[in-house]
Amino acid sequence: MAFWIELAGSGLITGGIYALVAMGLNLQYGLMRIMNISHGEFLMLGAYLTWLAHVAFGIHPVAFLPVVALALFATGLLAYRLCFRRILRTSPSVEAIEARSLLVGFGLMYLVQNAAYLAWGADMRGYSFLADAIEFGGARFAANGLVAFGFAVAMSLGLIALLRWTLVGKAVRAMMQSPVGAQLVGIDTAVLHPAVFGAGLALAGIAGALLSMVYEITPGMGEPYTVTALIVITLGGLGSASGCLAGGLLLGLVEAFGMHFTSPSLKMLLSYGVFIGVLLARPKGLFAR
Amino acid sequence: MIKRASGWLCAALAAVAAASAFAQDTPVRIGYAIARTGPWSAGAQLTQEPNYVMWAERVNAAGGLNVKGKKRKVELIGFDDRSEAETVVRTYEKLMGSDKVDLILPPWGTGANFAVMPVIQKYGYPMIAPTATGRKLLAMKNPYFFAILQQPDLMMNALAEFFKARNVKTAAVIHVDELFGLEQASALEAAFKEKGIQIIEKKSYPLGVKDLKSVLNDIKAKNPDAFVALSYPPDTFLVTAQAREIAFNPKAFYASVGTAFPIYRDKLGPTVEGVMGLGTLNPKTSAAAKAYFDAHIARHKKEPDRWASAHAWAALQVMEQAVAKAWLDRKALRDAIASSEFDTVIGKVRFRNGENVSTPGVVSQWQSGEFEVVWPPDRATAPAMHPKPSWR
Repeated sequence: MAFWIELAGSGLITGGIYALVAMGLNLQYGLMRIMNISHGEFLMLGAYLTWLAHVAFGIHPVAFLPVVALALFATGLLAYRLCFRRILRTSPSVEAIEARSLLVGFGLMYLVQNAAYLAWGADMRGYSFLADAIEFGGARFAANGLVAFGFAVAMSLGLIALLRWTLVGKAVRAMMQSPVGAQLVGIDTAVLHPAVFGAGLALAGIAGALLSMVYEITPGMGEPYTVTALIVITLGGLGSASGCLAGGLLLGLVEAFGMHFTSPSLKMLLSYGVFIGVLLARPKGLFAR
Repeated sequence: MIKRASGWLCAALAAVAAASAFAQDTPVRIGYAIARTGPWSAGAQLTQEPNYVMWAERVNAAGGLNVKGKKRKVELIGFDDRSEAETVVRTYEKLMGSDKVDLILPPWGTGANFAVMPVIQKYGYPMIAPTATGRKLLAMKNPYFFAILQQPDLMMNALAEFFKARNVKTAAVIHVDELFGLEQASALEAAFKEKGIQIIEKKSYPLGVKDLKSVLNDIKAKNPDAFVALSYPPDTFLVTAQAREIAFNPKAFYASVGTAFPIYRDKLGPTVEGVMGLGTLNPKTSAAAKAYFDAHIARHKKEPDRWASAHAWAALQVMEQAVAKAWLDRKALRDAIASSEFDTVIGKVRFRNGENVSTPGVVSQWQSGEFEVVWPPDRATAPAMHPKPSWR
């Protein structure tokens, strides 16, 4: 029994992080069609901010989460203002927004990553945080992984609830369905658009902060997470927050069980196997309506 | 027309004369490509480039390189290879083919060195690599390539000898699916077979894996005497943290690249106590090693790693001594490197068929914040801690 708990537990922990990373990108891409390929770089910024606060000022990483979220939210507003607002205003179609924001995203990726290389160098960084194990029915989990999982799932559920049951959430969904229609019924898209974009980056920052509690960090750490996030979004369905959570957890579980029963070397094969399977069976994602 | 031609000729002659007069004072131009960004950069910027920078500064502070009894300053021409093999090759082509630098220094990592080997042979530039390991490279029999780091069989033989001396009977092995992991794994299998150590589990995993707990749990259930991870830095950190997480406490715990990094100790804290890995020396090894560590910390505000960093420094010392002998004639320089013995921070170094045959395989172990050399006995800086204490 302990064995199954442990296997499922590590799958869920990995999957929870996947879901949180994907959630931020899903806000931007799924809902707004901004293909922000530099998403992982902002995750890296969140990780470095947390590391810096902890190592230089001894600030508790969990207590620092709101600061990271705010800092990344502000960065998001700035990036939106400087890079993406113009694209949204001048693009004739949704496809054009995707293509143009993809290019801008690439530029941002290099810019942010290289800025981090300049600021902190290429060395690996890290700090020890809650590395002790906690036991559940014979299964053992590192406390930092559990903290990361708890926050990741809580943030995801919070976002789902926000989108589904609040007026703001309704406004966001309306805006995505029809920007013009939303304006007609009195939704201030000029405020909401940048705010949603900023929230996407804030989620990336929190994911990075949580990752820094578990893994060592480098300026290049973000890229693989962007790729995983894209898989998760496609699994769950574009724009679906609950699909994103389910997709992330599913991917984590498939990797954990698959790697155990086959070989760890087949990890990529397993992830992409699920990906292709879902695309064939439900091309719009598991939770698309 | 004639007047104009002679005018050109005069100008050309003057230029040549000026150039040769100027040559006396021109710096020795030394080119290289190395990862400053991308996945290789964490290793390259810890182990290799800081040594290049520090060496050039020290040589220049002492007046320069000794070339034909004359001191000439050194000028480093370094490019970022962005962790791309094709950029490595293109950069060295440019440095040797069109820039015609005087000397080159190697890029970081087995893959990059492998990629650039044909080019250095084509242009005839000797290269002493501190971060290339694998018999495949030496099997190319490139006369200009010198490997100063211990090859896989040396390191794995040392580990097998150590285990045999400590009566280790069974071992579980995991390795990363890269040239490095494959080479180390086959060397390890041969060495363990010879010493009668049974490998009861062997698994591979891909680079960039984020969870190996289920693999470690399987291995824990089989209860081997020793655990060996032929790993790269991110997974070295991962297996250590996760073995502790599931309380997998073998008598010996060995992980590979990254164990010698100061960040390994700093990130994992007291957890690393008793973990063994690839290392060559530490500040206690010799006065020269101590001086090297001190100089590195003073210049870069960070410690070098305890394995390949010192080899990178030693490679520069070899180059400096060889230039004093053979000047900048690259063929003669190659012969000097191939045939002489050098005094370096890692001890005497002599090459045979491109391989450093003077530095033995070494096993190191973290003990109270220092990566102590524990094998072979004549190089040991502390007695081995065996069995390893339980995870802290």
